Amino acid sequence: MSEFLNYTINGALIGLLYALIAMGFIVIYRASKVFNFAQGELVVFGGFVVWWMITSIGLPYWIGIPLAFVAAALFGFAIERIFFSRLVGESVFAMVMVTIGLLILLRGLILVLFGPQVRPFPIIFPLQPVIIGDILIPRSLFIGGMITIVVGLGLSWFFNRTRPGLRMTAVAEDHQVAVSMGISVKRSVAFAWILGSVLSTLGAIIFLSGKSVSFLASEIGLAALPVALLAGFESIAGVLLAGIIVGIIQGLVMAYVDPVIGGSVGNVFPFIIMLVILFIRPTGMFGWKMVERV
Amino acid sequence: MKMFARTVLAGMATLMLAAPAQAQTTYNIASLADFTGPYADVMKDLNGARHSAVAWWNAEVGKDLGVQLKMKDYDHRYDAAQVASLWPGIKAELNPIIALGVGAPDATALQGRLPADGIPLIMSTAGYGFGWKSDPWVFNPRSTYAHEAAAFLEWYRKQNNVSGALKVAVFSSEASPAYVDIAKGLRKYADENKATIDLVEIVYTEVQPTDLTTQVNRVLNKGAQVLDVQTNTAAVVAVKRALQALNKKVPIVMSSHNGITASASAIGGIANLEGDYEVYGMAMPTDENTKSRQFYEKLKSQYGMKGGWTVPTVMGLNQTLVALRAVEAAAKKSGAANVTGRGVREALLSTTITSEQTFEILSDVKYTNDAPFPTTGATVNIGIVKGGKYITAAPGVAVPQIGKW
Repeated sequence: MSEFLNYTINGALIGLLYALIAMGFIVIYRASKVFNFAQGELVVFGGFVVWWMITSIGLPYWIGIPLAFVAAALFGFAIERIFFSRLVGESVFAMVMVTIGLLILLRGLILVLFGPQVRPFPIIFPLQPVIIGDILIPRSLFIGGMITIVVGLGLSWFFNRTRPGLRMTAVAEDHQVAVSMGISVKRSVAFAWILGSVLSTLGAIIFLSGKSVSFLASEIGLAALPVALLAGFESIAGVLLAGIIVGIIQGLVMAYVDPVIGGSVGNVFPFIIMLVILFIRPTGMFGWKMVERV
Repeated sequence: MKMFARTVLAGMATLMLAAPAQAQTTYNIASLADFTGPYADVMKDLNGARHSAVAWWNAEVGKDLGVQLKMKDYDHRYDAAQVASLWPGIKAELNPIIALGVGAPDATALQGRLPADGIPLIMSTAGYGFGWKSDPWVFNPRSTYAHEAAAFLEWYRKQNNVSGALKVAVFSSEASPAYVDIAKGLRKYADENKATIDLVEIVYTEVQPTDLTTQVNRVLNKGAQVLDVQTNTAAVVAVKRALQALNKKVPIVMSSHNGITASASAIGGIANLEGDYEVYGMAMPTDENTKSRQFYEKLKSQYGMKGGWTVPTVMGLNQTLVALRAVEAAAKKSGAANVTGRGVREALLSTTITSEQTFEILSDVKYTNDAPFPTTGATVNIGIVKGGKYITAAPGVAVPQIGKW
């Protein structure tokens, strides 16, 4: 029983990490209706910036981490200014193609800026696990899970209860309507990219603490995709629940199915869930249902 | 005057007769490399080793044989599709007699077409079970990764006087067929040697694992005495961090592509890997004064070696030396002007490339028509981190036999 609880709790915490990365997808999608294929690369960029600030330059954590967030925010803003501010009103397809181009560009940029080497990521959270009875929880995931819940609930409150957040929600619903109400779509989209980039850096810190950073880290962007789809691309709070569901299922499959069949079904299972969702409920659990009058 | 004219004519005739003996026939080598893909970080060393070895051979071997080799690099980004796309152009432009590859993408993209093209491909890596077929055109200078790991496990069991079966857990990933192949090979080896090896679990993870504390804890609870991680440095770091979190000291064994120096760099210092091992069938780039090291120093001082004394450099040297010795054997057999890709392949299959010929970078390399890697006589070297230093724990450990998987 304790083993089952162990896998369940760890799965839930890994799911919350996916949820944090998925929030980056969602804030950008809400503002611009763009599915950002380069979200994983934003995680890698954030990871390399943290490595550069703390390990390479040698800044103390309390300076390096806030500076990394500032750098990530500026980077997100620059992406929006250079690429997406010019695309307001263009087709979604054009914007999605730009995110694919962005993915390739970011890989090249990271290579030029930080080199191709695998870098040691600083130990932000202590390595010693949290032990409750027979249950053993990695501390980075435990603290990361708490942070994700706070951030998720905070963002949900921001988007649903504050004026700037509601303005962004209006933008998410319809750009033309938002403009007619005097809301600056460009500003909202810029803020979304800043937020998406900062969330990716936070995700990198939790994901990579004590490990290594390389291009391979971008794969977490793909792993977070089923979580975003299960939640529906508009719900910030919903993504927390979706993350926990996907994480628990993945954890249990990895623990009980993988050793039996001798393969990695656990890593594939979230994508099976994703396909099922797309068939049954394309808007996800908490996505907005659009009623169109023809 | 007549005498003078005769002397001049005789001199000219002598020169004309002597000219063919000094002529150099130039052949091409296609050097497939990954400058912008996942292994770009090691390509400076690996590719630098290839070029300096060719320069050495041209100056000290090819010159006397009447053969000069030219090598051209092609960036395939470690992508099989890119290899397949580049290959027709390489053939048209270079008409190579031999090609050097980096890893599985080269083999998978080209193994079907090389027989028709008549160009053998030499890899720098260990072999793979999925490539274990007869009539090879792709050649690995080392046994398979599973063979190399098995050699370590046998050595470790004897070294530590383990009375029953040595319990081993393998950390693998389905991200690459090569990783799965290693796990399958070790499963086969364990099944064939139940009295000595107990493979308690194969743990499949992502290539950049989120956290492995739960998985490592699980295999330790099953009694694992060695953790085999032959995937990548990210997995080594994740397994090591899990062990540190659990406050457990169980040795990890790595391979060449994710070995001690690379993993130490990824985890932030060699001290983190105290007591951990690496195993592979080629020279280890330790500080010890070996013949391989002396050859490297010679290349560095005389032949423009750009790479450091690293594993990728040794990988570049091992494949290039095998290629060069095969060309050498083919030229000796057929004549300098008649070397072909098919002739080089014949030479590979009929000649033993001795350890001395590779400056002890490899053990004796003897191919047969049954496998693309040496199936008999191969050995591995085992490295360890001891007292914070990277040293050889055991040289020349025999590779055991494993049935095909």
